[in-house]
Amino acid sequence: MINFGFSISKPRTIDIDRNNLHKSNEIIEAMPELQTCIGCGSCTATCTAGNLTEFNFRKVHTLVRRGEYQGAYEEMNKCMLCGKCRLVCPRGINTRGVVMLIKRKIGDF
Amino acid sequence: MTFFADFCIPFIVGAAYMALVVAWKYVTWLRHLPKSDLKLIAKGIFSLKSLSATWEVIRESLLHARIWRVNPRLGYMHTSLAFGWFLLIAIGWIETIAYLGFRWVPLQGHVFFKYFVPKNNIETHLPAFDFVMDLLLLFVLSGVAMAWYKRHNSKSVGMKRTTRHTRFDRIALTALWFIFPARLIAESITAALYGGGSFLTGGLGDVLDSIFSRTTLYSIYEASWWAYSCALGLFFVAMPFSRYMHIFTEIPLIFLRHYRLRPTAEESSYDRFEIEACSRCGICIDPCQLQSQLGNNEVQSVYFLRDRRYNMLQQKIVNDCLMCGRCEQVCPVGINLNTLRLNSRVTMRNTPNEGRYKYLKGIDTSQGEGRVGYFAGCMTLLTPKTLHSMQQIFDAAGEQVWWADKSGGVCCGRPMMLSGEVDAAQKMVEKNKELFRVHGITTLVTSCPICLRVFRENYDLEGIEVLHHSEYILRLIKKGRLNITHNAQLTFTYHDPCELGRGSNIYDEPRAVIETIGQLIEPEHNRKNAFCCGASVANTAISDAQQRTIAQKVGAELEATNAETVVTACPLCKKAINRGVERRVADLSEIVAENIKNINR
Repeated sequence: MINFGFSISKPRTIDIDRNNLHKSNEIIEAMPELQTCIGCGSCTATCTAGNLTEFNFRKVHTLVRRGEYQGAYEEMNKCMLCGKCRLVCPRGINTRGVVMLIKRKIGDF
Repeated sequence: MTFFADFCIPFIVGAAYMALVVAWKYVTWLRHLPKSDLKLIAKGIFSLKSLSATWEVIRESLLHARIWRVNPRLGYMHTSLAFGWFLLIAIGWIETIAYLGFRWVPLQGHVFFKYFVPKNNIETHLPAFDFVMDLLLLFVLSGVAMAWYKRHNSKSVGMKRTTRHTRFDRIALTALWFIFPARLIAESITAALYGGGSFLTGGLGDVLDSIFSRTTLYSIYEASWWAYSCALGLFFVAMPFSRYMHIFTEIPLIFLRHYRLRPTAEESSYDRFEIEACSRCGICIDPCQLQSQLGNNEVQSVYFLRDRRYNMLQQKIVNDCLMCGRCEQVCPVGINLNTLRLNSRVTMRNTPNEGRYKYLKGIDTSQGEGRVGYFAGCMTLLTPKTLHSMQQIFDAAGEQVWWADKSGGVCCGRPMMLSGEVDAAQKMVEKNKELFRVHGITTLVTSCPICLRVFRENYDLEGIEVLHHSEYILRLIKKGRLNITHNAQLTFTYHDPCELGRGSNIYDEPRAVIETIGQLIEPEHNRKNAFCCGASVANTAISDAQQRTIAQKVGAELEATNAETVVTACPLCKKAINRGVERRVADLSEIVAENIKNINR
């Protein structure tokens, strides 16, 4: 086939009914404040690792909460735990705790 | 001569059991020590170090000198129990020799000597010994009375709170409280029936004699010695499993410490000596801000060590610590509380992943060239005023600077290290080290005490001098490269950052810099006793609201100085304290940059 330089994006549908929310519920139970996230992206904007890579904390924790664990552990492992995100979070979410928690909970996915 | 009676059995069994358990523990711990530690012991054991260790054992295990410094009444309580009991045993031994000459006497013969004197029809009397032994017994009893009173009113010995005890501790504690009153009664009844005894046992004996008939006294005579022996036996059986294990463990610990053994980043057998040397005195509870300012009574070092000792440690206890080092500062046993908590975190860390931080390869975001490197650190990048002020200072001093991370760089690795993931942190350490070497710097300046500490302790930067910006600025001022306008009207107060003060022992440099600019007013808690701002990267457990509460309480004390500006030397402290005070909070570099004479603004 002739390659015209176009591609088709993968479908980005998240089906919460089909996803296994067991881990996600555990995470929210341990860190309920995560639900107060307004998705402003300040965490990602200041992120030390995000400055060097494509790491996006807001995206990863949002996906994890929706039961999309694929690749989340590897992504979270890019975090250097410096804590800037915690200082800029307008909702005062314990982001460093969230990183540690997600890594611990979904390490075997 | 006979030195055995039926009532001695509980004591003999208890003592033998305790000796076996303690010996078994020590042999196991020593056997599992790393090879390098064993070499250190072999090197130190026949050197002067053993002598200085012996002296410290006398000072600390018997006299409890460090507790005297915490509170004299608390010191007296511990001295009377430890040193008093020791003297009772030692002088009791000499007493037997004085009576019987040098001959072998079984252990119970020494301990229950007063019982065996009439039994063996020893006619001689040495009233001087009776007097000394009574005096010592009174000394110990005064300590027991204080300990008992302390349980109900800990403020009497200067402690707001004491430890909540485990079951074994309660058994041992009760037995210990009974030992000396039981001894007093047994010896007094003996004195009433057979004479002897001085002002205390003899006096009480006379009182008993006048109240009770001889037949009554005879009938409780054996029972009183049984009670004394049972209290001793019970204490000895409970001792190796209770807090009182510290009595013996502190002695080998002091020796090992003098041979330069230390707890390491990973758990080792040496930790057992430190953990079981904890007497759970609870002195670490009051300084803990999680206790005093947040009312959390579960996580203090005393409970952490207890849980770790009995293998019931939970992740949330391990993580909930600011690692400010205020408890370590006051611990009378000198336990390395932060190191132990850290190596527990290492044991409980997330599964290490070899592939981590591959993206660091080839990254270099540094700018400029110079022999002096400046590492802002993640937190300084969030306080751009500090960064800008450092730029002004460098310019004024005419310094050629290599900026390691002006537009974002790699984290120093300490936050990761504090979470226990030392292997991951090591990758950042290697990366930064490589950058420092490639750019050939000879001095590394950082304005972040968190980075400073990891550079000094874990980086092994031979040939590169690592300086905190407070040290560097002071040096510039002293060399005359930086001229500062002094204005006595300006008033400052200074907050000691934990990592800079207790962590890196830098107290004077920031103060000296502030005093070249204006007037420094010290807050109530300063230097070694300074508070933590609450935002410590070591704690991943407390919430934002709790951090704010700590910041407000710390801030209130800083505001009470009425100084115009609150100065600190850590970007994280600055951010945290800013939420707790109304007045201006500034980094040290800011107030310096504002008052430079030789600058083209």
